[in-house]
Amino acid sequence: MRADRMKTPASKRQAARKPDITGMALVPLAIFFALALAFPFLPLGDRGAFLLQIGFFTLVAGIMALSWDILARSGQVSLAHAAFYGLGAYGYALLLKTGLAWPLAMPLAALGAGVISLVLGAVTMRLSGMYFAIATLAFTEVVRTIIQNLPEDVAGGANGLLVPALLGGNSRGQYLLALLLLALTAGVSLAVRTGRLHHAFAAIRQGEETARVLGVSTVRYKLAAFFISSFLAALAGVLYAGKTFFISPLDTFSLANSIAPLTTSIFGGLYTTLGPILGATVLRVAEEALHNVVKNGYLVVYGLVLMLSILWLPRGLMGLFRRGKHGGDV
Amino acid sequence: MDLFLQTLLNGLLQSGIYALVASGLALAVGVVGIVNFAHGEFLMIGAFMAWAASAFLGIDPLLSLPIVAVAVFGVGALTYRVSIRHVLLAPELNQMLLTFGLGILLQNLALMLLGGNTRTVTTPYQASSLNIGELSIGGPKAIAFGLAVVLLGALYFTLYRTVLGRQMRAVAQNRRGAQLIGIPVDRVYLIAFGVSCGLAAVAGVLVSVLLFASPTVGLVFALKAFAIIVMAGLGNLTGVLWASVILGLSEALVQTYVPGGGGWSDAVFFLMIFGTLVIRSFRQTA
Repeated sequence: MRADRMKTPASKRQAARKPDITGMALVPLAIFFALALAFPFLPLGDRGAFLLQIGFFTLVAGIMALSWDILARSGQVSLAHAAFYGLGAYGYALLLKTGLAWPLAMPLAALGAGVISLVLGAVTMRLSGMYFAIATLAFTEVVRTIIQNLPEDVAGGANGLLVPALLGGNSRGQYLLALLLLALTAGVSLAVRTGRLHHAFAAIRQGEETARVLGVSTVRYKLAAFFISSFLAALAGVLYAGKTFFISPLDTFSLANSIAPLTTSIFGGLYTTLGPILGATVLRVAEEALHNVVKNGYLVVYGLVLMLSILWLPRGLMGLFRRGKHGGDV
Repeated sequence: MDLFLQTLLNGLLQSGIYALVASGLALAVGVVGIVNFAHGEFLMIGAFMAWAASAFLGIDPLLSLPIVAVAVFGVGALTYRVSIRHVLLAPELNQMLLTFGLGILLQNLALMLLGGNTRTVTTPYQASSLNIGELSIGGPKAIAFGLAVVLLGALYFTLYRTVLGRQMRAVAQNRRGAQLIGIPVDRVYLIAFGVSCGLAAVAGVLVSVLLFASPTVGLVFALKAFAIIVMAGLGNLTGVLWASVILGLSEALVQTYVPGGGGWSDAVFFLMIFGTLVIRSFRQTA
């Protein structure tokens, strides 16, 4: 009898906790993807091409933010996301130049960025907090300086490179490809969230030494986070290169490309799958809406959003929906 | 040989400004315990104030310098009051991201209001130069270096010979202990953060004369200041001076002796950050 009574609350707790991962996250995610899938087939009228382009870049921003978040889950708050975005873009452009077909060049470029991220991850392994942030920032600038100073016939130097348009410039196709890659990113994020990695990442984030004492192989997990995250960020870079068909060191490695994913994740809700996607949607749409008001220096909004989120909304938009549930680290 | 001496001299002169920016940052990090990613933006504000005073009111930057310093001290104190103060006890990550957001905000606000163009300040002594034997020193550079030396001297005198300085060092060592013996910690923080921003602004005034004022001018100096304080060790104020000289000299040497050095000299401080961090992190665990 007593055993039975003990069981009920436990299973109830289980039932109450489960929707947090599956129900709470999956239903809105499914709604988001259904809407995003339907979007290009809506009768959008004259401004259709323009709206589709906004949609495309929203999806790219979503991939960037979510992949940044996956790395942040392991306690590594990186300012090097622009580096992997840029490495993806440049790797893709250079591979196409050797005559490789794009479906091959895309994953290979991402793989290359992932491998380079392992080098950065190994070097910054023992750094934390501001040291880590500064080292990753420095890494981005070093990569940019190297690409800019390479001979012009290799990587175009400061003038940049021309890239063939993705899918022959078919904007609906490009949009759907971006959606597919965002779905892949979300899938990876959910897999990390529900699997073994989630516990390892959380343990490392909350106390690396303790995690190591408990037998978590921190080196392997931190590198894994770096690889997954930069692989996905590089895919976003490939999409960008194929869409704008022109890349230059200053644009692709711009600090803005590191700031945006960070701000988006924090604004949307750190360590969640839906949060960064939601944040990207809100911030990108707001960016387009405000484009005529704030012409130069749109990042002002990102700076403001970041400050206000830290001061008043430390758990982001997701915190509004589930007040008081998850523990509030950051 | 002359080329070598001239290179060393240029590097040394450059390090004066680096030391100004970096000691301000070290003050914020060491005393307040805040890694201020917006430090370069206070430099930028100082540069634009000097430019505005010179362009609209015809005031020489060297005369407007004290006013700019006090004004930016005020801006810094206000920043502390409305934002920094609320995250003093928050996780380091939140503090970092807050100042990072502030930096982005200020930089792009300047971009929005003033545009991305660079503004130069013209002064009568701009093209003057001093000749010592075969060596020549640009007039503005010499003035900037002299000012940096005087100001740093004043800063170190304050820190090591006055009551306020002793309070600052006490707070830096142990916040709670300082509070227990009756030091007004909040006020010390406010002053230290204000002075930190003021020092950046002074450097900004000098930068507006030596280089130009632009919304992004602060970023490079802030990054170099980070390199310097990382090399010196966080909050180590004397180390800052040596690290500044090392950075200034190595940049000058790269510029002179490496082919195409102009482009690569910007990478020197990144290598410095990387090198120090990696060496230090491995030595720690060894």
